[in-house]
Amino acid sequence: MKNQNRKTLLYTSVLIMGLIWGFIAIEKGTDLLNGIDIYIFALIVILGGIALYNAFKKDKEEKQGLKTEDEMSNLIKYKSGYHAFLVSMYMWLFIFIFKDKFPDTETMLGGGILLSGLIFYITKQVVKRKLYE
Amino acid sequence: MNNRIKELRARDNITQLDLAKLVDVRRETIVFLEKGKYNPSLKLAYDIAQVFKHSIEEVFVFDK
Repeated sequence: MKNQNRKTLLYTSVLIMGLIWGFIAIEKGTDLLNGIDIYIFALIVILGGIALYNAFKKDKEEKQGLKTEDEMSNLIKYKSGYHAFLVSMYMWLFIFIFKDKFPDTETMLGGGILLSGLIFYITKQVVKRKLYE
Repeated sequence: MNNRIKELRARDNITQLDLAKLVDVRRETIVFLEKGKYNPSLKLAYDIAQVFKHSIEEVFVFDK
């Protein structure tokens, strides 16, 4: 992908995030930066950033004529999927224990799903570092 | 398992990117292989050995 296209994609992504932020701000008013909502929004931004970074990385590899997935990346994916599943089980347990801290069920489930995504990314990095340990 | 990929690459003047293209894997896989952090499949080991025109045993050294 050319630099110009990358910039366009980046600006579009930031614009979409800004629009989502604005929409939520209008819906929730001054409550947006209060309580758990700010953490949920931070998770959305972090996961969006990770997704964009991975997309650029894969695009660069494709342009170089390389594969975007191979036997090692599949092994890492399977191992990190297994660990992420186990960690997510404990995460859901803690979420249900502390369910009173969430304003509503949608926020609780949405936050849990976003956190699962973050857990998968973190376990992937850990598995990469300790592939055979 | 140790290997001589880095040494053979330097001998044949092949970059990590070139080797990755020749054996159809990601560059990251070559980096991991050279550091000894990843044990390749038999097919990948064979493909790499073929690039350097050696046998698998000459490229990959199995520690007992």
